[in-house]
Amino acid sequence: MDGPVNKKIVDMSGFDRSEYVVSGVRTAVYSIGSGRPVIYLHGGGTFPGFDFVREWARDRRVIVPYHPGFGESDDDPRIDDVSDYIFHYIDLFNQMGLDEVDIVAHSLGAWIAAEYASVQAPRIGRLVLVAPNGVVIPEFPNPDSFKIPKEQLHEYLTADPSVALRYFPDGHDIDFLTLGFRELTAFSRVGWEYPQGNPKLRQRIHLITCPTLLLWGQQDRFFPVGGAKTWQELLPKSELRILPKTGHLVLGENPDAPGIVHEFLTR
Amino acid sequence: MPILSDTKFLVAHYMPYTDLPDECLERDSLWVDIPNAYYDPHKGHALYERYLGEAVLAEELGFDGLCINEHHATPASMMPVPSIIASAIFARTEKLRVCIMGTPPNLENPHRLAEGYAMLDVMSGGRLEVAIPLGTPMEYWVNPVAPATARDRLHESIDIMLKSWETQTGEPKGYDGKFYHYKYLNVWPRPIQQPHPPIFLVGSGSLTTVEMAARLGFGYAATFSPIPKQMKALEIYRQKSVEAGHDPDPSKFPLTAMVYVADTDEQAVEEMTPWADFYFGQLLKSGRFIELPGYIPVDEFRRRDGKFIPESHGVFDWKAIEAVYRVVAGSPETVANQLEKWAEETGSNRIICEVHIGNMPHDKVVSNMTKLAKDVIPILEERRDGAPKVEQSPQSAYLDPPEMMRFRKWTGR
Repeated sequence: MDGPVNKKIVDMSGFDRSEYVVSGVRTAVYSIGSGRPVIYLHGGGTFPGFDFVREWARDRRVIVPYHPGFGESDDDPRIDDVSDYIFHYIDLFNQMGLDEVDIVAHSLGAWIAAEYASVQAPRIGRLVLVAPNGVVIPEFPNPDSFKIPKEQLHEYLTADPSVALRYFPDGHDIDFLTLGFRELTAFSRVGWEYPQGNPKLRQRIHLITCPTLLLWGQQDRFFPVGGAKTWQELLPKSELRILPKTGHLVLGENPDAPGIVHEFLTR
Repeated sequence: MPILSDTKFLVAHYMPYTDLPDECLERDSLWVDIPNAYYDPHKGHALYERYLGEAVLAEELGFDGLCINEHHATPASMMPVPSIIASAIFARTEKLRVCIMGTPPNLENPHRLAEGYAMLDVMSGGRLEVAIPLGTPMEYWVNPVAPATARDRLHESIDIMLKSWETQTGEPKGYDGKFYHYKYLNVWPRPIQQPHPPIFLVGSGSLTTVEMAARLGFGYAATFSPIPKQMKALEIYRQKSVEAGHDPDPSKFPLTAMVYVADTDEQAVEEMTPWADFYFGQLLKSGRFIELPGYIPVDEFRRRDGKFIPESHGVFDWKAIEAVYRVVAGSPETVANQLEKWAEETGSNRIICEVHIGNMPHDKVVSNMTKLAKDVIPILEERRDGAPKVEQSPQSAYLDPPEMMRFRKWTGR
């Protein structure tokens, strides 16, 4: 497909690219650096790119897969429940020969990571959940990503809207729009009916046993920081860092964030 | 070429709620998030009474049927549950057919929809017709169905409805689908029209819908969409019907037109303009809710350059609309000529006239319907009956006339 990524922003120079066929679906995987592997699972839109992972590649092998339905991976309409991603990643990691990994994950990716870690706890060393959704928190409901008007998206993404604006094209850009529509479609297959998360995750999340960092922006308008305490209570071996003057795109907006993640991973 | 010998004339009425304050008309969208405080139930009651009266008039004037629609959370249609309207119309009429076009079966439990339609068919003595849509994107913001599953659910729901209407002589079978499971699929009552009331699929030209209608032997009812797009869909529908072993007879692809008749062309256009402005410029304003993830395939999104709707929706320009859509306002002669031309190019013998547009007042609806019945249709029938008998060949009529090609760029098709 043409224009599968945001060409204005996404720069994968220095990364190696591989493809795997997972349950019949072509899956694109980028990696950079060497050392113990750390996986980065992206959120519901790939347009901000992955520049921040380079910081971890100084002493780690960072692996960035595109979820099916996102970026350079093919569509898999059979994925219509978030738990389908668990089995996708079990399959992919088996094929890649990855036994134990660390995982850093953002937003929808963090939801997937929490589901995966609940099922595959022994295969995870350390876990970083950045601005996650997934656990339903009635006291701090999120605004439902699908209801956020397109024109206001940048105001939701970062505390300083001008930071998010630089990810967007200047005028009408059909490649960019198509990328967004396609990824929102894939997200909608698992999230349209569950914008607040998976009602069942709360009853199984205690199966996550690894050290976990919860990293949140104080001004997150997608998943309000008020819910962070609930996540911390549900994950006994977790610590919480809340970053001031930071919105939902924590790793892209706050220059300290990638380093905080790196420090936690290397402990 | 005159109209076909067995041409049926139907009217369409979308029963909008029209008494909206100015502040409401300034909104980007009159769909989905428009607070229902703007709906005054007492005024709504009066409108239902008025509109049902206009349905009765359709029978009195000799029209063959009336088409009604379904929309949710909008003043554009007061018929979120059109079966209830059909029931009221059937109770007040004796011969008039009612086509419900229609309820997206994937927004219902499909066996309950089949039950409701069977009841209506039996109660009316076999006067029901059914047109099945996917529903506009806006419906999915206010119904609990994920849009990315909408098409698959639609297909399964139609399958369930058809099986529901089959006559069971032994132990009724169950149904195991992706979305629905039934221990026994056994709908009582069963329809009076056998094997079921006439069914049309409603489409805006998407190939999947056209092919499905052809494969199942259903009719194909085009939405309000550009003429070249409708003609293309019709061409494919005919080919695919023949391939599937079904007869694409002229009643299966209705010709739908927005029609207003007055004494002169000038008077018609002048009177029609504000009502059409209210319809296109206000009632069809859907703002951001027209965009819906998963509603169309990604390549279709790209083909449409990221735009979900025709440019006619939300802005009003009669000349632009007239150039691309089937709309006509004029004297009886003008309207007759236009309908005759469209009937020839489609080869259809089922002409549906949208006789109530936007906020058209009651007396004008009455005069429009009356002139259509008493002045326009007689012209069409007279020309047909007076014409020398020729072998009619609708197959030759559906090729795109060259003058339509210039609209292709405009419509992106």
